[in-house]
Amino acid sequence: MSSQAWGSEQYVMGRFKSFYSTGAARVDPPTELKRREFGFLSFGGKSMFRHIGFDDTPELRKYMQDYSPAHSYFSAAYYEDPRAPMSSKGWLGADLVFDIDADHFDLPCQKVHDRWMCRTCGREGMGHPPDLCPGCGKSTYVEENWLCEECLNAAKYEAQKLLDILIRDLGFSPSNELSVNFSGNRGYHVHVRSPSVKDLNQMSRRELVDYILGLGLEVEFQGFTSRPVGGGSTLQESGWRMRSAQAIYDLVSDLDEGSASSLNMGKKAFQKLLEDRDAILEVLMESHPSGVLRYVSKKTLDALMEAAVGRQASAIDTVVTTDLRRLIRLPNTLHGKTGWLTQNVPIDDLPDYDPLVASIAFKEGTVRIYIRRTPEISVAGEAYGPFEEEEVELPMAVAMFILCRKAGRVAR
Amino acid sequence: MGMISEREAAKYPFLGDAVKLVDVLNLTLEDLSDPSHAAVLDRAEDRVSRAIIRGEADAQLSDTITELLSFPVSNMYVMVLGEDFLKRRYALSEAVRASGILLEENDDRIAKMGRVEFDWTLRLVREHMDGRQFSFELYFKDYLRNASAFREPKWKLVNRLVRDGYVLLTRPEAVRLLQEEIQRKIARFVAKSQKINLPEPLQERADRLSKLLDENRSRLTGGELPKKVLMEAIPPCINYALEGLMAGRRAGHMERFALTSFLINAGMEIDDIVKMFISVTDFDEEFTRYQIEHIAGLRGSRTRYTPPTCATLRTHGVCHNPDRLCEHVKHPLSYYRIKVRDHEREEAERQERQQ
Repeated sequence: MSSQAWGSEQYVMGRFKSFYSTGAARVDPPTELKRREFGFLSFGGKSMFRHIGFDDTPELRKYMQDYSPAHSYFSAAYYEDPRAPMSSKGWLGADLVFDIDADHFDLPCQKVHDRWMCRTCGREGMGHPPDLCPGCGKSTYVEENWLCEECLNAAKYEAQKLLDILIRDLGFSPSNELSVNFSGNRGYHVHVRSPSVKDLNQMSRRELVDYILGLGLEVEFQGFTSRPVGGGSTLQESGWRMRSAQAIYDLVSDLDEGSASSLNMGKKAFQKLLEDRDAILEVLMESHPSGVLRYVSKKTLDALMEAAVGRQASAIDTVVTTDLRRLIRLPNTLHGKTGWLTQNVPIDDLPDYDPLVASIAFKEGTVRIYIRRTPEISVAGEAYGPFEEEEVELPMAVAMFILCRKAGRVAR
Repeated sequence: MGMISEREAAKYPFLGDAVKLVDVLNLTLEDLSDPSHAAVLDRAEDRVSRAIIRGEADAQLSDTITELLSFPVSNMYVMVLGEDFLKRRYALSEAVRASGILLEENDDRIAKMGRVEFDWTLRLVREHMDGRQFSFELYFKDYLRNASAFREPKWKLVNRLVRDGYVLLTRPEAVRLLQEEIQRKIARFVAKSQKINLPEPLQERADRLSKLLDENRSRLTGGELPKKVLMEAIPPCINYALEGLMAGRRAGHMERFALTSFLINAGMEIDDIVKMFISVTDFDEEFTRYQIEHIAGLRGSRTRYTPPTCATLRTHGVCHNPDRLCEHVKHPLSYYRIKVRDHEREEAERQERQQ
């Protein structure tokens, strides 16, 4: 059976078209619609239809109804003439955008639901494929990636940390300047729309990325000065002074014998650390952080910081934010790899937001599909599968998800 | 008029009001050629010489009118000489001069400079932290516009106190950032190149400056790169990317771009780059060649791309195995240039010994 049959593309296209016949009315136009470039990927299409512009919202929605694309994007950038070729569009500025994708993380659940196979020698494994195949040393793989509540929660957590930095450190207004979207697959997008970021150049955006990642953080600038200086605990201060102290505090609190392997320090240093743990925590809580250097060397502190910074940083994608002409998913449009919606989430609702309930687009009906292989899938609180080489009748949302991932086809 | 004193204008001749003050005097080139203005022409020549030789001009404020008038004249010398790197060096030299004077001013004067001349969103504060005194809070956008080009860790946003969008600064730090703004402003003053017929007194000084520039040129601009790529000289990041390519490791966009743009700028022939790529991947030759030619500036927007800076490569996880030399450079091509120079020196010594 050729791989073209997997995914029953015609069927999925039909469902998308049917969805957009009414769903197009709910597609959310971005601000300054006339200044944005749009891009769309059709089913089975290799390249994007780009340099598309719309004069008003009805025009955009009609396009969605007529073409029902697999993937729909708009530019973070604003252009004089979005329909012109790249070099003559006339860049006017861009929103600041962030992408958090669980696929980039290292999560234990990936060892359960993600699978790789080496294209050259056929060697298989679970989780992320290794840099070089242990069988043949090559590096080209076929991957089957799924998602679960754990991945989605991990992505949400990173999004929440990002929002905290954007609001508390950078002063953006959550009600006016920030918006959060579930990506429709395995993550979240955060958009910052503000005159203070619109004309930020690429270097400035890169510097913001580094800030959010905690990249280049040096402890002596966070209050861990080599000489004792006056001042109090930084745990109640702001920015990275607070975060770095908090991160070290949490890391040191959680230390046990097993932590040694994940830290970049010698056995002696580690043992001493365990012995002095309570004293260090007390310094962090009560006094200026420079006091910590009475108990640990700068080298040890650097190693701790290296391990701890990720707890406070947000694991954003570095390329998306620094790309001045990025295309990002349009809210309330369908994601062709899942059948879910890219969906705007009010910031206050984010903690309780469950994409596996809220972003379902295909709510009605069931369909019988033949499944090649899936892990356990959870949708709207119900678990399905795992399935392997079997025919099952499933609710439309679950079936569409499996078809969009090309792991099944409509049964005859 | 009377909004700015002559002394104030002499200190900071790039201020909008200082320029207006000079305009009001309505001097022509002929006027300036008069012997009574010889001091102005000499000081203008002196400012440009200092830029060439030292990269740093001084402040001579005892004769404020001469100091003030010498600025537009030195600008003109720079424009007439027409060379880009001199323009950059001159702008820097004058900016360093201005920041030296600014450092002696009070906080209000510094704040006024930022707000009025450069539209800074700035707050005056008095805060003591880690044994240091902080006097300003600058909105992050203004901070980044000026500091994101700096390399030292203390300037990275992550190493600063950022609160509600504002970055805490000491006086010297605020002045250093103003220096960047001033440098950009002065660069705009001399951006045009003008081939004008100068009266004799100005032309003779311009000729002297031209000669001085020639004498110092090679010291200032750094050398050419060899035509064939010297493999022993390539930086660790590029080496890692190259090895990954050979092993068929799937590289991210930034890594591929860094590798390709480095090889192009290091002088590798496009055909050789294409051959290398397609021998190890299943990339389509036509598409690969198209992409490489695009980076080389032969297609599309016809911009020839240089590889990203070390800082950018670090952000995107492309920096690998940095060595001692990496600590001293900010750009993979700088690394390459230095290693090539070392290699050439060694080669020359070896050949001498064999003779």
